Amino acid sequence: MFSKRPEFILLGFLLLTLNACGGGSSDGGSQSIDPPVTPTPPSPPAQPTTDHSGLTPLSAEAPEPGESQSGGAATVQRDDEDAFSFRPDAVAQDFRLDANFTQGNFIFRSAHEDFGPLLNTSSCQGCHLNDGRGVLPNSPDDPFTSTLVKIGVTSGAPDPVYGDQIQTFSEQSFSTSDVTSGLPVFDGSLNGDELFGEAFTSIEFEAVNGTYADGTTYELRRPIYRFRDLSFGPFADDIQFSTRVSPQVFGSGLLEAIPQENIMNLVDEEDANGDGISGRPSIVEDFTTGETLLGRFSYKAQSASVLQQTIAAYRGDIGITSRFLPEENCTDAQIACQNAALRENQVGDDVDITDRELALVEFYTRTLAVPVRRGFDTNTNTFEENIVQGRRLFFESGCVGCHTPRHVTGELAGSTLGEVTITGLDPEAEPIEVLSNQTIYPYTDLLVHDMGGSCSITRETDAGLSCEAGSECLYVQRCEGLADDLIQGDVSGSEWKTPALWGLGLVQVVNANATFLHDGRARTIEEAVLWHGGEAQNARDQFTRLDSQDRQLLLAFLESL
Amino acid sequence: MKKSQLVVSLAAALLLGACDGDDGAAGPAGAAGSDGAAGQNGASNLVTREDVVTTNANIAFAAYTDSLITAIDLRNSLADFVTSPSEQTLANARTAWLASREPYGQTEVYRFRVGPIDALLPDGTIGEEGDGPEGRINAWPLGEAIIDYVAPVVDGDSGPESPANTLGDNIIANVAEFPTITVDTLADSFEFGEDERNVTSGYHAIEFLLWGQDLNLDQTGAGPRDASGGQRPASDYFTTANGNTNACTSGPDDVPEQICQRRIDYLMAAADLLIDDLTAVANAWEPGVGAHYTAFVDGGDTSLARILEGMGRLGFGELAGERINIALTTDSQEDEHSCFSENTHRDIVLNARGIQNSYLASYTRVDGEVVEGASIEDLLVVEGFPELANELRASLEATMAATSVIDARARTGTPFDQLIQESVQQPNIVAVIQSLVNQTDDIEQAIEALGVTTNDLRQDTEEEINGGG
Repeated sequence: MFSKRPEFILLGFLLLTLNACGGGSSDGGSQSIDPPVTPTPPSPPAQPTTDHSGLTPLSAEAPEPGESQSGGAATVQRDDEDAFSFRPDAVAQDFRLDANFTQGNFIFRSAHEDFGPLLNTSSCQGCHLNDGRGVLPNSPDDPFTSTLVKIGVTSGAPDPVYGDQIQTFSEQSFSTSDVTSGLPVFDGSLNGDELFGEAFTSIEFEAVNGTYADGTTYELRRPIYRFRDLSFGPFADDIQFSTRVSPQVFGSGLLEAIPQENIMNLVDEEDANGDGISGRPSIVEDFTTGETLLGRFSYKAQSASVLQQTIAAYRGDIGITSRFLPEENCTDAQIACQNAALRENQVGDDVDITDRELALVEFYTRTLAVPVRRGFDTNTNTFEENIVQGRRLFFESGCVGCHTPRHVTGELAGSTLGEVTITGLDPEAEPIEVLSNQTIYPYTDLLVHDMGGSCSITRETDAGLSCEAGSECLYVQRCEGLADDLIQGDVSGSEWKTPALWGLGLVQVVNANATFLHDGRARTIEEAVLWHGGEAQNARDQFTRLDSQDRQLLLAFLESL
Repeated sequence: MKKSQLVVSLAAALLLGACDGDDGAAGPAGAAGSDGAAGQNGASNLVTREDVVTTNANIAFAAYTDSLITAIDLRNSLADFVTSPSEQTLANARTAWLASREPYGQTEVYRFRVGPIDALLPDGTIGEEGDGPEGRINAWPLGEAIIDYVAPVVDGDSGPESPANTLGDNIIANVAEFPTITVDTLADSFEFGEDERNVTSGYHAIEFLLWGQDLNLDQTGAGPRDASGGQRPASDYFTTANGNTNACTSGPDDVPEQICQRRIDYLMAAADLLIDDLTAVANAWEPGVGAHYTAFVDGGDTSLARILEGMGRLGFGELAGERINIALTTDSQEDEHSCFSENTHRDIVLNARGIQNSYLASYTRVDGEVVEGASIEDLLVVEGFPELANELRASLEATMAATSVIDARARTGTPFDQLIQESVQQPNIVAVIQSLVNQTDDIEQAIEALGVTTNDLRQDTEEEINGGG
């Protein structure tokens, strides 16, 4: 199936569609053969009277006024470059909660003592720029600073030498004034003395051209990744790569507060309703509690809780150990890393971050407010007409099959680490009221879906010549569609968790250089829609069949989120 | 409650002393006051909510104006220093910086209330929280590594604050990307790359350029902490123009003269930008005409709520939480507010005093003049809460007492960065935090007693947001 030639890609999508959807209820598109003898289509199943949350299903035609407050009470009335960085009013008005948020914010944006030895950046804010998304480098010669690469072998296990993530830097990049001093050096750390970042990733793009049904052409850009300067020797032979841009973080506590059974009501593994979409839960163990739960966070839904995600990111991305993950981020094969870790542990605590600091960052991340919808008139309590129309198209195109608009939250328990006080941590934490029992509009089902595609990895020189080893011999990853081929937990190499869409239209207001999708390949929301494949192929094709005006309406709706 | 008759009568006696002639409407030298016909229980029953709000606005103007005046003094001292750099002129400049912090620290109680400092737009109108110049004026920790040279090892974590993505070398050394260093350079590079770590302007940028990093006396960054701040030499500013040919340094290293000239440019641009920003904030508070002054004075209970909210949020989240407790728990020199100059104890004292000023409606200007008027304390008495009035007065006083201890420790050789170390005097620090907790409880009670809420204040902005997409 693999082909470098762009024009074959859409055909590839189409074939996948046919396979995945098995002649479902959606129309087959322009490829259909002669229509069947009976002109009436099979009648759709009767509309259920309640949705997965027990509420009356949303109407495709008429938005509810409450939809303007996407985060319920945890919505902030802002639409500017700081829109992802605010606390809900209920937090600001309570001096204690306010203090938790303020301190959590400080820890989130500041470099933490004892980072490294290997790391991607030195603070949370370093990747979640302005609490929003990270960015891709400006050129193939610039290192990843707010984007990272997950790795593993074909079984999904970590690489025996490099682990499950490429850390681009070693600590001296952030502890001296010379950024470049910790960048990867080919075989540079094999001697066990000198520590460098693990490997350098370059992105280049090639154009993928396509055409809408109305004849309008468009151009997407497909990433090609080159991995070079491996400091600890070669990767495993069956290495897989997955590039991930740091996502925006607001609203996390609300997503965490959706009752698991409501999400499970959306599961349709065998596609019983024949819509071509077979949402599947990613079930993971939350190592902070030992419970087996629905994964909700990270691009492949590998974390069940904000706390678990926070702890994993601290260790994996910054090199900050905690009571839950007390080992520094060095594999047994990385002697230079272990030696650096020993030096680090000579100062400071046994682990780098305390429970109280974690609880503060958890509180901050959970309560970061969701920005208000634009295009809603609070005087008349109505949305602008183009947004109403765009919303209808979003529903009718089937996007809501995965991007579930509405959820309700249950009671969100306070931190399992305890209730933060100004100087300590009390055993029993109060529930977080502002995030509890809210009607919210995140536009995600928190399930994983097969989005189609596949990847190839080759060994090539910069000039594209085949090679087997040596400093000039790079690892090159090319993918068709959205797949990364990296297995995480029981989520496959072409499955992704449906990301929330709230705040979508403000992503580039908060950070003008931010882009979309897991690896930032989509420069616009429109491009992101066009990259959809697999289970989303039908919905994507519906979009491409809209005329220009309707496409603009649908995009106007997405921009208003 | 723990109150007794004695306490109440003591409160009344105190109020008699404090409120003499203080009817708010006619200013500090008002005619009737508590001794007049309208006086009652030691307070003027003429004090209204509007009077309290007006006095608070008048004090804001005085405190921001003092900040501006001392910033201009600072710029003059910096100009003297770079014209003839010596250890003496450097010391003078440092003294001027320390003096400039005294009024500014007391203005911070005007944060967290959608006032000019947080919400002033470049066109002079009031926008939303985050639109104002506060970050450019006083953000910390500084992104020192993107401003100038830094030591390879420091006590705590230094820069590079955001590597590679947008910026090559530090701004002073990076001639290619920043051929000239002006006010605009600093304003444009603030939080560049949308990274809040990249703080390049304000008081702390000037502080860093005067003191340099606090590497302690042994200058290794790894030795024991001591009472010394940074030890930047005057030769970091040596140029031919100021009579020191071929003598420019970057700390221990000899460097081309261009670096010293660019450092001078940076220092003066930082001072100019600070003055611009403080001027704009002071103008917004100008009695009678300031864009915010007028609206605030007419703001009724919403304005009263803003005063109390600013007091509570500064004291608890910002001061007790971020500025003191974070430094205490991380035990990091880099996490103290004025880390280069070892002046963090003053930041703490002055923030706390600002809160007390807002309650007592009294501010002592840099020249000694006292601006005072109708206070929240008076108002609580008038509205029937004399016990609470006294309790809050006492809890604020307890905070001032606790901060005076760390102030005394610092002035006698044990600065904040040593006090936060486990083995030293943490109890002094914890006592400040505890007193701030107690006073916040009382502020909450005052908010409840006066029946004011800040809900309306935030909902105001909702209507302004429409038509996006």
